[in-house]
Amino acid sequence: MEERTLKVATSSYACLILAILYVFDPDMATSTSDDGNESVATVKKPLYESSTQFRNWRCSPEKLAHIRHSLNEAAVSAIRNTFEAAEPGSSANVSFLDADEELLLVKLYVSKIPQLCALFRFPEEVEATAITYLKRFYLRNTVMDWHPKSVMLTALFLATKTTNNPISIEAYASHIPKTAPSDVLDLEFLVAQSLGFEFAVWHAHRALWGIWLDLQNFPGDPIRLPMSAYDAALGHIRTSRLTDTEFIYAPSQIALAALSLVAPDAATKWADTKVSADTDTSAVSLSSMVESIKSLILSSGKIPDVESVREVDRRLRICKNPEKVPGTKAYLAKRAEEERLAEEKRAKKVEEVQKAMGADPFGEEIKNDAPRPGLVDYDDDDD
Amino acid sequence: MDVVEKANLDRQKRWIKDSKAGEGTYAVVYRGHEAATGKRVAIKKIKVGQFKDGLDMSAIREVKYLRELKHQNVIELLDVFSSKMNLNLVLEFLDSDLEMIIKDRSLVFLPADIKSWMAMTFRGLEFCHRNHILHRDLKPNNLLIASDGQLKIADFGLARDFADPGFKMTNQVITRWYRPPELLFGSRYYSSAVDIWSVGCIFAELMLRTPYLPGESDMDQLKVTFRALGTPTEEEWPGYMKLPDYVTVGQFPKPSLRDLFTAASADALNLLNKCLTYEPRRRISAREALYHSYFFGLPYPTHPSKLPKCAKQVAASRPLEDLNGNVEKDATGPGVHAKNNRLKRKLSSPVDEPKGRSIARRLDFTK
Repeated sequence: MEERTLKVATSSYACLILAILYVFDPDMATSTSDDGNESVATVKKPLYESSTQFRNWRCSPEKLAHIRHSLNEAAVSAIRNTFEAAEPGSSANVSFLDADEELLLVKLYVSKIPQLCALFRFPEEVEATAITYLKRFYLRNTVMDWHPKSVMLTALFLATKTTNNPISIEAYASHIPKTAPSDVLDLEFLVAQSLGFEFAVWHAHRALWGIWLDLQNFPGDPIRLPMSAYDAALGHIRTSRLTDTEFIYAPSQIALAALSLVAPDAATKWADTKVSADTDTSAVSLSSMVESIKSLILSSGKIPDVESVREVDRRLRICKNPEKVPGTKAYLAKRAEEERLAEEKRAKKVEEVQKAMGADPFGEEIKNDAPRPGLVDYDDDDD
Repeated sequence: MDVVEKANLDRQKRWIKDSKAGEGTYAVVYRGHEAATGKRVAIKKIKVGQFKDGLDMSAIREVKYLRELKHQNVIELLDVFSSKMNLNLVLEFLDSDLEMIIKDRSLVFLPADIKSWMAMTFRGLEFCHRNHILHRDLKPNNLLIASDGQLKIADFGLARDFADPGFKMTNQVITRWYRPPELLFGSRYYSSAVDIWSVGCIFAELMLRTPYLPGESDMDQLKVTFRALGTPTEEEWPGYMKLPDYVTVGQFPKPSLRDLFTAASADALNLLNKCLTYEPRRRISAREALYHSYFFGLPYPTHPSKLPKCAKQVAASRPLEDLNGNVEKDATGPGVHAKNNRLKRKLSSPVDEPKGRSIARRLDFTK
């Protein structure tokens, strides 16, 4: 049985590797068709390209900066309004965070995930997935609404489940200081929602393992690198998780760059065997891309300086959204408004049901598509 | 309002819930439609708040895999949105499933019909396996049938990615009658071959019109399997006696499949045999099966639109796989009926079902 699983598993790396041939092209993001219908597709596209990661979580560095800036601007103006509503003039002296400061804070908590994972002895898959979740979360949310310290814990817990390594919430929370199960679970739905319920993540460390197996299988001329080279390349991949590479490049491209940082010759040789089979991607464009990834890893793959983050965090205590802080006036006002809307909805529903009950009982059942009174779902209070 | 909340609200507004179609163990299913187009959908509302450990694993699995998979023969997840603490999956609307069709005694299957269903099953499964996903719960009532006759693999609540070599998986998967012997013997390292065994059982069931290996317990399942296919020899399946939960089941001779499947073609029996091969490594893969001579010989598979369909249930009853408890409702052969009730693992609301039917009858009457 071992032999077979090995064969199948290797092929799963092979398809990750196929994706190496893809170079980022902003047009592709829109032109990629959604239908994965095999019988229609004439050109066989790599599996990676039908993934939600390829379709929805990939953009150019400029687009990434734009997303973060507009998210930050919208958040600042919304929170400013909340402050003003509670007490006019109160937002004047608040120094809100800018997009870069938000990113800095997120990055610090990205760097905490490996420590937590080591504590629990979670596999690499869990760690990498949790980091991706945390980073994706802040492409849809601001740290001024949700502090990364709490989101990180939820992202990690969710990642244990989506990667099929579940542990009970009690076991999880009891190992983390000052954390109750509800602290983790309360945010779970929000995190899942922010991820668009797209839980599957393609990781660079898997692609690296695929390249590593490939190197040993070059026909006639296997490349033998010491295991320490693999470990060093894996180290670069772990570093890359602190950067934006995963939003810009394919996992296989990041893996190739990581290998290239350790064993440039082997990386080039491996890439040549892939490129020669493909007409779209030239060796030159691939190598320039690898160089950009390498410099991105080396330049921005650093854990932020704790002192500068502490300064950001101190300001965050003042500028965070009061609507999200239980007990504040704005928080209570928002909850009250939500409760009022829900009550309105329920009342409307009851009215509808009563109306339906009052109608001609003989006329009712014939119309199949009209809501039948007996089937009204009383516990469905959400539509 | 947060960006996320707003995006969710927009999604929610795209879909309209109409009426409750049934209730499963962890979900309520509604018939619904798309606001803009009127396209029929099924909305599966999963109650999230009730689980101690937060989002439930089977909901996570289902969403995770269906989000990624798009294929003609895999059920399509059109959208996901949340309402309060509920997770709503918007799925394509499917009228019936293969189990209902198998049990509808008024339908006659031609060999070409069976070939068509098998081809669609293997196509969908090949796509799952190509994406490195094990389904781990294939059975006739998880193979849904669209109104145009297309078969779609559904219910990914037990699915998972292929494990890396040397990593354990649970053997507590696949509904017993469709479970391969390596899982019954407690194997924790297995492959896509487990799904192929299930497809073999479904293939046999399509020909027999009754479940092929209906064991009454895990132990009995092995006995039923060995009685039908012969006790494997060490040569046929090297090393199986060393599997963790190995027990001696008894010696049964290998009967000829021909004796039971009297009407099957030689090609059909050959493919069946390759799906029900004991040694998982020698079992045929989904891809190989698609190239099997069975699919190239005469008769050619029936066009999906011309396949037999249950006439009655189409009206209303159950769009989703979740409501398995109800399938035996009409036109079931006497013996099969009683037997099947034992294995049903999911609940459904007993009240809605007959009501739905009586309404359908009255509809006919008024015409």
